[in-house]
Parts: sequence; C-alpha cells; structure tokens
Amino acid sequence: MTFLNISQDIPPVPVPAGEITARIAEVFGEGSVGRIADRKAGRDDRGWFTDLWLSVEKERFLEMIDLLAEFDFPHFHVISGNDDGEAVTLHYHLSLFRLAGRGERVGVTVSVPVYKTDLVMPSLFSRIPGVEYSEREIREMLGIDFDGLPNKALIFLPEDWDETIKPWRRDETGPGADDVRHLS
Amino acid sequence: MEKKYKIPIGPVHVGLKEPITAWLDLEGEKIVGATVRPGAIHRGIEYMARDRNPIQVIYLSERICGICSFSHIMAFVRAVEDAATIPVPPRAQYIRTLVLELERLHSHMLWAGVACYTIGFDSAFHLGMVLREKVMDVLEALSGNRVNYGVGTVGGVRWDITPAVAKSVKDMLRYYRREFSPFYDVVTGDPIALARMRNVGVLTYEEAVRHTAVGPTARASGVRCDLRKTSPYEAYGDFSVEAIVPQDFYGKAYGDVFDRFLVRVHEVYQSLEIIDHVMEGLPEGEILWEKNLNKVLAYTKKAEGTGIASIEAPRGDDTHVVHLAAGDENVTWWKVRAPTYANAVSWPLMFRNNELADAPLIINSIDPCISCMERMLITDASGEKSVVTRTELLDKCREKTRRLMGK
Repeated sequence: MTFLNISQDIPPVPVPAGEITARIAEVFGEGSVGRIADRKAGRDDRGWFTDLWLSVEKERFLEMIDLLAEFDFPHFHVISGNDDGEAVTLHYHLSLFRLAGRGERVGVTVSVPVYKTDLVMPSLFSRIPGVEYSEREIREMLGIDFDGLPNKALIFLPEDWDETIKPWRRDETGPGADDVRHLS
Repeated sequence: MEKKYKIPIGPVHVGLKEPITAWLDLEGEKIVGATVRPGAIHRGIEYMARDRNPIQVIYLSERICGICSFSHIMAFVRAVEDAATIPVPPRAQYIRTLVLELERLHSHMLWAGVACYTIGFDSAFHLGMVLREKVMDVLEALSGNRVNYGVGTVGGVRWDITPAVAKSVKDMLRYYRREFSPFYDVVTGDPIALARMRNVGVLTYEEAVRHTAVGPTARASGVRCDLRKTSPYEAYGDFSVEAIVPQDFYGKAYGDVFDRFLVRVHEVYQSLEIIDHVMEGLPEGEILWEKNLNKVLAYTKKAEGTGIASIEAPRGDDTHVVHLAAGDENVTWWKVRAPTYANAVSWPLMFRNNELADAPLIINSIDPCISCMERMLITDASGEKSVVTRTELLDKCREKTRRLMGK
C-alpha cells in the first residue's frame, strides 16, 4: 500500500494532471472534478503546473484519498473551511509529486461538505500523521470532530476557553457580539 | 529504572524567541517523550480578515511574521489573484522574486546566528548579525523599511528597482561573496559546534514525509522538495532552482541540526545566484496591473471563487487560501498555513532520546518564526553610551533611509 511505502530510493513517477482527473471522474463521477487551473509564470507566461479542485461526499472521502495515494504519497498542506449554512465545507489542500521534477507538482484540493446534523469526519491521522495540528484546529475553530484523531486537546485556543463557542462558525455556535472586542 | 519527570520548556524560556511550550518527559537527562502546546500568541488574524477588503488584508498578512512578512503577503496576494484572475506584469514578477530571495538571505543569516547563540557560540552569533545588516540595508533602500516592506500588492508591486537600488544589490552580492564563507567556515570547522549539532534532533526521511515537514527542515532529512522547482511561480518560471539536500554535498543526509545548518548555508549561496539571474533578466515595463486601488477593489468585489497559493518561504512552503464572494467587498474567509505550522508537528520526533540541554536548540532548529529587533541603544564615537528618544530614533531612521534610497 502506498501509504506504507516511503523511501528515498523510490522517486515519484509523475503523471499529467489529466490522467488524475480522468481516474477520479471514472471512479467518483464527472461531477467530482471541479476547476482545473494551469499555473503560468515568467516573462513568457509559460504554463508550468496544475491545481485541481475535486469534491466528494464524506462517506467516500477516504476512498478518494486512497485513490490519490496510488499516484504519490499525498503531501498535506492544510484544511481550510467555512460555515456554509446547512453544512461546514472543509477543503483539504494536498500536493502530489512535490518531490518530482521541474514544474511537475499537482496541487489537489478535496472539498467535503460536513452536514451539521452529523459533524464528524474520518481522521487522516493514521495515513498522514502530519494532519494532527490542522484537524485539531478545525475541531476547535469549526466544531468538527475527527474520528481516529488520538489527541483532541485544544491547540491554539487558551486552556480556559469556553468550548461551546466555535470561533469560525457563523451560526449560534459562533462568537456573539459580546464575545468580540474591537481594538480600534 | 530512573524516576520520570515532566518538565516544561516555555512558554517563556531564555532559549526561545517566541512563546511556545514543550512538555518534556525525562528519564534523568534523557528526553523520552514530548508534547508541544502552541497557542500563546494566537491573534485571530484570519477572523479579523472577515471585516477587511483584500487590500487591507495585505497589511494584516504582512504582520503575521516579522521576518518572512513578504512571503506571507506574496502567498496572500497570489491567492487573491488566483480567485479573481488578475495577471501580474513580468517586471513585477521579477521584483517579487528579488524580494523573496532577499528575505531568504536575511532569514537564513538570522537563523544561523541564533543557532550559534543557542549553542553558546556568541562570537559566531555576532558575526551572523553583522552579515545580515547588509541585506537589511538593501531592503531599506528598496522600500524604506527593514521589517514590513509594503512592497507587494494585488496585481504587482508598489516599489520599482531604481539605479540606486540596483547598485546596492550589486554591492551586496559582492560583499556576501567575499564575507559569507568565513562565517560558514568558522562554524562548520569548529569541533564543538559539530559536537553540539551532529546527531541532535534527528528526523528521518520517512518521518519528514509522513509528518509533512517542509522547507530546510525537510530538505535536511534528504527530502528533495522545493516549490521553486516543482511548481515555478513568478520569475522562477524563467530559471531552474534545485532543492538543496545534504546527500548532494556530503553523500548522506543525517536529518539532524547540523544538516539543517548546512542546508540553510548552501541556500544562501543559491539565493545569491538567483538574485544574479533576476537582476540580469529584469524586464522593462509596468510594475502594476492597475494603479488605481479603487478599481482593483471594484474588480475583486465582483470576483467569486476560492484562490490558493503555495510559495517557498525561507522556512518552507507557505500556503494561503482565500475565498471572495461576488458582491462582498471583504474577504469571505482566509486560511494561512505558515511553514512552522507544518514543521512543529515533527518536534516530538526530534526530541526523542536527546538530552534536556539540547531542547532549545532542537526547537530553534526548525527556525520557528522569530521577530525581535532592538535599536534603542547607540554608542557614539567617543565610546559613551546614550539612549535615543523615540523622536530622535525616527529622525535617524528617516535620515538613513533617504541616504540608502539615494535621495
């Protein structure tokens, strides 16, 4: 399994972004592939690398990560997220082929809506332990629990923080007017 | 079996420049486990951005860090340019690249100096600080500032390279090619420095990959990652940059503090070469996509979408994600992933089986964001010390800046 096989002696074999999107579309449907951004740089505006935006439902999230891992060990950047009303949408920002040749990295964002009726996500910790800080941050800031995350202690908020307040939420669990002090 | 102790390093500790706590489990002097607790200086900057438009957030972003301030605004404005589809003129791309590399120079030199200070090698620390002044002067000549330069903006840059700035860059390159290697030789040739740093705070290749280490921390473990190579942005599209890894120089990557030192030193030489390429290839032309800020804001207000940018900051990959909603002049949401956020996950691994006395050095070895500068005490020519008032200091700063900018 790719997640277990990391070695300095096995360089990643990059594939074009189109091959990744074709495989994703085949397994998860055409609708799962969103924006494909070709990144240009330099004096001649030459195209270099690609950023992909994918989406998946929560139940098939781990399956999509495992499929991406067939291409390369996904380097995890961060989880971003927003309270979109009925759901909190999480965006997992990853990179494939970050150890490959010039201009061969493929940025991949996987967006997952987590409905407020069940604010639990499967943790990526057993696959990529580097997700720890980000999952803990999303847990305290947006109120999403991660199933499989061993350390669920607060990370950026103070020890005496009232944990019923989720700083990044925009509903009744978010900070109220009395909780915000404007300095200027 | 020896009795176990739990000892906190931090949040405020003489060996640390910023507040963070590492709870260390000790058997005698040996560290057998560690838990890191950040959060002492969380300022809610991402939340504050919700009330600000993209131009205002540039200045918020610049204040995330006192050292890689430009890296953060570059990641932020590139994410905004991605969300709103805004092009950047080639000359501006080159100036951005120049400032990114100048920032890498001063960040790496500051780190090397602080690392020497942490192991008690104070003469090398002072040597490092003296060297760093030259690049600070170039940044001041370009922008008028030493810390937050205010150079980057959405769609370009705010300051151009004048003949006076070009000359100061040239002087700086000559100065470093002459003066940097003695510093490097003094430290790497010192048997005590080697003893304090070799095999201390080891992070293996596999651990660095799994724990998402970035920048010099990952490269010192032999991980060949560098966004300037695998995803060229700005002027890096016009010349190649190779990841600096110890095995290419010494046949093997130990992944220890000494390798983190070596990687940063070689990256200083690499940055000097990149600055040469930038100055030689600097295109003529505009430095801004649109000069009128109101027009830029009217344009970003119409934009709808999420933009992402990852750039190779001095400490590693810095990722910003921004969402703009059509009709809303403010940033809807913004996520910042500074390199230390990624590298800090590896701290508990680096602590294993090391001595308690090495804990501050291990913490500092990933170059956690540190911003600290004291300029209040001066010594005049006669050797008498005097304290400068705030007004006098401001006048002196302005006078020096005018001189550096050739005015």
